[in-house]
Amino acid sequence: MALPVHLRDSVTPQELEMIACQQLIEIVPLIAMEKTAFISGAYGPLRPPSKAKLPLWMAVNLKLKKKCHIIAPDWLNVEHLQDRLAQEVAKPDAFSDLPFRFSEISKVLLDVASDDLENPDQLRSLLKDLREARQAKSREGLKHLDHSELGLTGLSSMEINEIRPFFVQSMNVLTKIARSSET
Amino acid sequence: MENDYFSVEAILAENQKIQCTFKHEIPNMGHLGGGTERERTKLQLPMWLAYVIIYSDWAEFNIPQPFGLKVRNALKAEATSVRLSNLVGAGGMWYGFGKMIMDMLSDEQASEMSEMMTKAFKDAQHFAAIGPGGAGGSGSDGLDATEREIFTLAQASAKRMKKWHEESDKAKQ
Repeated sequence: MALPVHLRDSVTPQELEMIACQQLIEIVPLIAMEKTAFISGAYGPLRPPSKAKLPLWMAVNLKLKKKCHIIAPDWLNVEHLQDRLAQEVAKPDAFSDLPFRFSEISKVLLDVASDDLENPDQLRSLLKDLREARQAKSREGLKHLDHSELGLTGLSSMEINEIRPFFVQSMNVLTKIARSSET
Repeated sequence: MENDYFSVEAILAENQKIQCTFKHEIPNMGHLGGGTERERTKLQLPMWLAYVIIYSDWAEFNIPQPFGLKVRNALKAEATSVRLSNLVGAGGMWYGFGKMIMDMLSDEQASEMSEMMTKAFKDAQHFAAIGPGGAGGSGSDGLDATEREIFTLAQASAKRMKKWHEESDKAKQ
């Protein structure tokens, strides 16, 4: 009754997406709602047209039923991302400063609320470029792996998840091989 | 790998044979193969047997060919060109085998071996790391079992990521 290998060692992207959806995001509601209690806390009241802060999962839900407009987080716009991309290119051994779960949040918002975002296509392509630049850097950084530590500061949760099974296993092997030189 | 009693990889790695020279006479030891061992008889013994015999100091052994000088130099020159899987026969457990030998050697030889394996492993690394971006199978038949395992892990996780990114693009709208 064992879990398949890929579930044993790391989290699936869908699970990370769900965790990311717990973050609060601002919306403009189109319906009114009283202060309602949920397991994670009480949200509301919603009084259109004033803004409110809700968890992302709830905002997505309302959006799909066309009951709100989502306001993009302040890092999800063209200039900000272009700025980050320039930073990535300029610093070949450090990662630029992006929110920890930017990949999941941006994917969810682009899927559901692309009409609430300015220039969704450009955002998509910028995000893709960012991802590729960072992947190349993390690959570089992996070459310096040794049996006791690996330092790659600034990676986002999705990127960590992607390389986790790989580098955990490599470090295991390296530990076994290197053991003798310490005794 | 290693001394894990239940590990299949360890069992397979232990099956490799090394050349041993007996130092003493051991009566009746050659039961299955016929004949008794005299002093200085050379034999090929599998690791799991050789381990005990060497520990009890009844024989000596040489570093087997897969780790010999020629291989070592080839690895130093260009680690990715060496086909580790060919050196130890089917299944290829070069690292597992090397680790066991290393455990039996004296300190300085062992640290030399450990350095050689570490370097070979790290250089073969980028094969696996390229997995997410590059084409599969470009060198995967030259990798030994350990490297192949890691390569598969990297490829699988990259595949899942890609799938996630592309799914649900249509599902929600």
